[in-house]
Amino acid sequence: MPGPPALAACAIVALALAGCDYVRLLRPSVLKQLNPDVVRLVNELPAVDDANEALVARLFAHGGLSWADRGRDGVYRDQVRIPRNQYIWKPAIVVMGAGGELEIDVANDDEVFHIALVPSNGGRQVLELPVRTRGKVRVRLDQPGLYWFGCPVANHAGRGMLGIVMVKGEVDPAARLDRPKMPRPEDR
Amino acid sequence: MTIEQRARRRARTGKTRAPVSTRLSATAVALLLALACSKPFPTHYPVSPPAVSFKALDASMAGSAPDVASRVTSQRIAGAREEPHNWLTYYGAYDGQRYSALDQINAGNVAGLRPAWSFQAGVIGVIAAPATYAFEAAPLVVDGVMFLSGYDGYVWALDAATGRMLWQYRHAVPLDVPLCCGNVNRGVAVGLGKVFYASPNAQLVALDAITGRVMWQKTFADVRAGESATVAPLLVKNLVIVGSSGAEYGVRGHLDAFDAGTGRHVWRRYTVPRPGEPGSETWPANSLAWATGGGTTWITGSYDPELDLLYWGTGNPGPDFDGAVRPGNNLYTNSVIAVDPDDGTIRWHYQWTPHDLWDYDGVNENILFDLDGRKLLAHFDKNGHLFVLDRTNGRLVRVTPFGRVTWADVTESTGAITVKLRPTPAGQRICPGPAGLKEWPHAAFSRATELLYVPVVEQCATFKVMRQEFSEGMAYWGGEASPIRTEQWGEVKAIDPRTGQQRWSWRFAHPIVASVLATAGDLVFAGTPTGEVVALHARTGAELWRYQTGSGIHSSPVTYRVNGKQYVAVPSGWGGWMKGFAPEMYGANRGNTLFVFALP
Repeated sequence: MPGPPALAACAIVALALAGCDYVRLLRPSVLKQLNPDVVRLVNELPAVDDANEALVARLFAHGGLSWADRGRDGVYRDQVRIPRNQYIWKPAIVVMGAGGELEIDVANDDEVFHIALVPSNGGRQVLELPVRTRGKVRVRLDQPGLYWFGCPVANHAGRGMLGIVMVKGEVDPAARLDRPKMPRPEDR
Repeated sequence: MTIEQRARRRARTGKTRAPVSTRLSATAVALLLALACSKPFPTHYPVSPPAVSFKALDASMAGSAPDVASRVTSQRIAGAREEPHNWLTYYGAYDGQRYSALDQINAGNVAGLRPAWSFQAGVIGVIAAPATYAFEAAPLVVDGVMFLSGYDGYVWALDAATGRMLWQYRHAVPLDVPLCCGNVNRGVAVGLGKVFYASPNAQLVALDAITGRVMWQKTFADVRAGESATVAPLLVKNLVIVGSSGAEYGVRGHLDAFDAGTGRHVWRRYTVPRPGEPGSETWPANSLAWATGGGTTWITGSYDPELDLLYWGTGNPGPDFDGAVRPGNNLYTNSVIAVDPDDGTIRWHYQWTPHDLWDYDGVNENILFDLDGRKLLAHFDKNGHLFVLDRTNGRLVRVTPFGRVTWADVTESTGAITVKLRPTPAGQRICPGPAGLKEWPHAAFSRATELLYVPVVEQCATFKVMRQEFSEGMAYWGGEASPIRTEQWGEVKAIDPRTGQQRWSWRFAHPIVASVLATAGDLVFAGTPTGEVVALHARTGAELWRYQTGSGIHSSPVTYRVNGKQYVAVPSGWGGWMKGFAPEMYGANRGNTLFVFALP
């Protein structure tokens, strides 16, 4: 029978595991989104995704997804890293709950120079990232939809350094069509 | 420690160490934790150089423009004919004539015209596949400053004499905008110190004309519903008026007016009435067909300041080809609506193609001109007919075909329509094709010759109808139309508005899909899908000059004068809905360069 110190250690481990990303996947709301196509994507992607197997770098979506946090000042914030030797953004998809300002804290963990070129109303923003530096870029994306960002150095974007900012939400209610609620594709 | 020393200590303290197995498991778990959970963000890294705007890294850009726009008002635009050296509004003047009184360049010397400068719009981005880009703009020129818009959210202020970029605004356009046909923009409006621009995701943006910074921004349509925007806004009195796009997505068309100073939304006029509203009797009762009725307003209107009437064209009903789901004439689709600019009331309308089954958008420009003491309106419709109306009340003066028409017979004096050919499930050959006998690129009226000049798309298509279920945001055509490539060509025609008869025609191997420009120098400028800009003699149609720009022309060239020198500006850049109007040119090179010509 393990003594109190070991029990405490187990409890701490259990708590840490519960907060860990892998275990959080086992929630019902996540599991119900799995369908055969998604399962195949997850299962087969690693085999075609490794650098120099099917690709010279990595498939961009492998960076994963993250929800930006909305601060008290209304600005959405997220962190994005550039891992070593992969030519991807991690996460590759940043989700904003609604339109507004987004501040991305980008860290270049790679051993080569990169740039984050991010769309923004008014003009794109350029964040230069020498090796092992970190910087913040703030942009204005105030309407729903998908916006791409990428690294314009050499062909880094083509090799995988393409990312998406997804702005969720509906447009200004004053602009919406005056008509009954119409069926949407996901309803069918 | 020796084994004996360890055993004596254990006996003294009573403490025992965990067995090896437990210690190994704990270590393994700790290692797993370290690997499985995220590494901490490296806040210890040195900070990178600060982010800067992309255009801040363009040393060639001046950064600001002279203040030319604060002195432009709707009243000044109404008097645009008094300053022919400027191109103050989309059509050159509110009347939609696309006519310039400048004659420094004329039939006698145009053979010597050559490029003075070019402006390249820059790299094509990731918003859409290359096939859908086109440079469709009408440049505006105000006292030496050119205001130009491009695809992908771009607006520029350029020095109109040298081409130097003064400022650039770039709107962040979402990747997934539900464009029907092209990543395009037809131009801006300028006045009251501002430049007004409609983004593809239907944002009306008011920019400071000196710096290009946003003064205000308003949403005027819903991308989630399948709406978008390509229109050049129109400044009328103190209002900016914009039209919506998306009739191929089963939207409900509308016009919106915003206060130019503040962006306050002043009125919206739907082009398809709700049940019970005037015109609703032309839609089926107890049906939601009106809610997907189309009638979008994607081409800039013309305006008569004396009558205080806006003349705006409306597009096809939805779904394009399957009329069985919307029996009735389907007002006010495929019409000109004469609109009170103060509140959007429709004073009268004329419907070019009732109960459309052929995608014959009625959006084409309405050219306002006076002839023989009468206030008239000329409209070259996609359905193959030139309509001349009395613009005070919408009464028909005359309607005549201006090319091959097989879908119907239309009586010249009454406008009565007898439909002859409809789409079928198996496919029916019908002329004109879905691009129409004239696509959106604009015709012109010359005050010097009193002739109308029209770019013609001679093309027939096989039309098929198919029942389709509607889902918001998804394309909703109700069939398809495939142009018949083997029997198509293009023309620029000169038509006498008094009779509808053709005076002359200049023929080309491909449909003409660029706006024509008429000048007092006895010239008509036109552009071709294979990249040529040509100058034709306004009275005879003789070709006097041509220049190869390297990519097809699908835009609205303009002319202006700065420092005593006349220029002709031609945006060159093929693309858009080529499958509809020139499928044989689908693979032609895209482009994005503005050519500006002058005499040596």
